[in-house]
Amino acid sequence: MTDPMGPWRLHLAPFLRFSAVCLLGTIVLFPMYWMLVVALTPTGFSRALTGFVPEQLSFGNFVAIFTERPMLRWIVNSVVVATLASALSLLFGTSCGYALSRLRFRGAGLLMMVVLVTQMMPATSIIVPLYILFRDLGLLDTVQGMVVGHISLVVPLAIWMSKGFFDRIPPDLDGAARIDGCTRLGAWWYVALPLALPGMAAIFIYGFVTSWHDYLFAHALVHSQELWTAANGIASFRGEYFTLHELQMAAALVFALPVIVMFIVMQRWIVSGALTGSVR
Amino acid sequence: MSEALPATGSRRARAIRSRPLAWLTDGGGFPLLMIMPALLVLGMVIGLPMLLAGQMSFDTINFRRPAAAGTYGPHNYVRLWSDAKAWSAVALSGLYMAGTVVGSIAVALSAALLTRRIVRFRSLARLVFLLPWTVPAVVTALVWGVMYEGNFGVINRILEHVPLVGGANWLVERQTALPALMVAQIWNEFPMAYVFILAGLHSIPEDLYEAARIDRANSLQQFLFITLPQLRYILAVTVVLLMIMGFKSFPIIFILTGGGPAGATETLTVLTFNTAFRRLDFSYAATLGILAVAISIVLVVGYMRLVARLQEGRDGP
Repeated sequence: MTDPMGPWRLHLAPFLRFSAVCLLGTIVLFPMYWMLVVALTPTGFSRALTGFVPEQLSFGNFVAIFTERPMLRWIVNSVVVATLASALSLLFGTSCGYALSRLRFRGAGLLMMVVLVTQMMPATSIIVPLYILFRDLGLLDTVQGMVVGHISLVVPLAIWMSKGFFDRIPPDLDGAARIDGCTRLGAWWYVALPLALPGMAAIFIYGFVTSWHDYLFAHALVHSQELWTAANGIASFRGEYFTLHELQMAAALVFALPVIVMFIVMQRWIVSGALTGSVR
Repeated sequence: MSEALPATGSRRARAIRSRPLAWLTDGGGFPLLMIMPALLVLGMVIGLPMLLAGQMSFDTINFRRPAAAGTYGPHNYVRLWSDAKAWSAVALSGLYMAGTVVGSIAVALSAALLTRRIVRFRSLARLVFLLPWTVPAVVTALVWGVMYEGNFGVINRILEHVPLVGGANWLVERQTALPALMVAQIWNEFPMAYVFILAGLHSIPEDLYEAARIDRANSLQQFLFITLPQLRYILAVTVVLLMIMGFKSFPIIFILTGGGPAGATETLTVLTFNTAFRRLDFSYAATLGILAVAISIVLVVGYMRLVARLQEGRDGP
């Protein structure tokens, strides 16, 4: 070895890499950590914080958002809307995903293109005509309207992701079922669909989270406070308690935590599902 | 699976001819049966609104001038053509896309390269870089809004201790508002790029690096001549997906600045929303929405071409 730095480099490289990971990780985690710190600081005191740790712990902010504002009501609304929107989207989207995965038919390419465009165009383009349509149909400011609006977000996702899951099931299996006398519908219903069930569960969760996180539809289609979803409710806190950061952060934490915890528990599963949905 | 009807005379073919329902469940009508539910729903929740948007864009639906409704003509498109505000919104969307794409790729690529060969705490390190993905855009907006706050926000308090760098009222000042929003968006969306790039890194055959080490290539050379070329397709796909996400972005911008200060962050999506729900000019908003759809179609076509090339590259030599 003629490299005089050789032995040093050997020890330095892992150390540098370790420090870099820690630094980048700290920066990435900081906003979430800060949300927790501010949420746990007594109302009005976060501006007096001098360090990065809470000086007094208090759960008063969490009590306040549930007693002073209808937070619980909003969460229930969100759960109802997200469950319905995701389940219905799955019901309507799955068979189309199978068709796009297995069957050759005229217009398949066009249909795939349309599904992709609807998933990827800005929702603000849909919301303007949808508002006028809902006004004429009397769906503005109703839970049904919200569900229909969210279906327009989740159905393309359900089609695209279920196509991905059916792609992974060997087509020979439905072929074998047909030789055994199944109709084409039977091959799908009795063979392919049960095999894709774990995938369906993943799609349901993904659709649920998409609806749970949506802000645009919730904000535009519903005016009455008691029908708001949680996303719209907590966003209103920024206007309502503009300088009371503690209440804003407590509400944000309550809203974000279920999904964060679920993600940590099912990390591997979700990441592979997401890759299926968007790359293939 | 074969699509042709079974040979004439077979039991199945006879069944199909005798019962029209069998044409749907077992014959040539099967694809139609399978796509019908989705087609109906997509038609109702997306097709119908889009057709209505097309009609609205030639109408005059303005809640401030209800009497004008029913005045048809291409006036909204004429107005769009010479509307500096609309084109500045398109430019802002482009700037926002460019900034968030470059930032997300930079952060994601660094994180992926750093955690790629990590041995201890491997899944913990990955979890850290994935977590912001799970944070809703609404929450991202609230958290960054609190951190950016001008008087006692934590970012300004940190910057007080950094020499030569001053604080700012990030979301209120014209020059800082858009970059500040981009940072929040990057924080929220880079994990997606991280997942893709990490997957791409793991698909690079290890013997390429072994060969390079035998040839005494240093790590920079290995990165430039092996990693980057091997990653180029996955990077391209990630870039297009990030562009689409940046273009669609609404809640972070809308909640934090609403398009202000003085239109400095009014991207096409925010302008569309504000035109309808603040200025109550639904017809012009529909026109802006159609412009946005047209831009998305261009992006999606680019995405599909890239994915096709990616799969070709995978299967080919």
